Amino acid sequence: MSRVSPDQDPFRAIADANRRRMLDHMLAGERTVGELAGLLGIAQPSVSQHMAVLRLAGLVDERPEGRRTFYAVRAAELRGVADWIAKYEAFWGERLDALEAHLAQQRQ
Amino acid sequence: MRDIVVVREVAFPREMVWGALTDSRQLGSWLMPNDFAPKMGHRFTFQTKPAPGFDGVVRCEVLELRAPERVAFTWRGGPLDTVVSFDLEEVPGGTRITLRHAGFAGVRNLVPRIVMGFGWRSLLARKLVGHLAGVDHGA
Repeated sequence: MSRVSPDQDPFRAIADANRRRMLDHMLAGERTVGELAGLLGIAQPSVSQHMAVLRLAGLVDERPEGRRTFYAVRAAELRGVADWIAKYEAFWGERLDALEAHLAQQRQ
Repeated sequence: MRDIVVVREVAFPREMVWGALTDSRQLGSWLMPNDFAPKMGHRFTFQTKPAPGFDGVVRCEVLELRAPERVAFTWRGGPLDTVVSFDLEEVPGGTRITLRHAGFAGVRNLVPRIVMGFGWRSLLARKLVGHLAGVDHGA
């Protein structure tokens, strides 16, 4: 398994509600930091900081155009999250099997 | 948005299942090592293997405790800030266990939109190509 530094971890990147809202808006199309600041109602420097986290995690692409930079979502990276939740579902199924086995042992 | 819900009927009395859910030692033998105590507001952790984005510690707090029917606690670890609950109902011959893992709202909402977003885009692209091909044939 490849080692991922915390900064590059997509799971950590999406743990923040504002970053999830940014991704949500970028799904609709490319956005600039200024546009996102307006849409989220938070200051541009905060959006820039959040964008840096998303970029480090490889979740967004940037495209400079003139004096502006447009950001877009890299969806493939985020699909890992769906797999992760599916694993949790399997986890609980297995744990309940273990609970049943435990109960059977207790009765003996 | 959908919670994880797992329903299981077991051939054991409810009191016994309740014990397996609320006794730290028993809980540790089928779930994970922990310092759970059956007290409202008790803060405890489950310890498991670390994974990328997850230090292997699940931080919990007892939110509900109604013996022998319902126990609920927070489940915070990795990107998750969620709630896990167990409901126990007596049924003929045993107990129905309903496990609910709730609060995936933020993460869950985002993922289907990404998948659907891309599905739509390629669908539209195909439709457009098909449409243009049709136009071409018609001309």
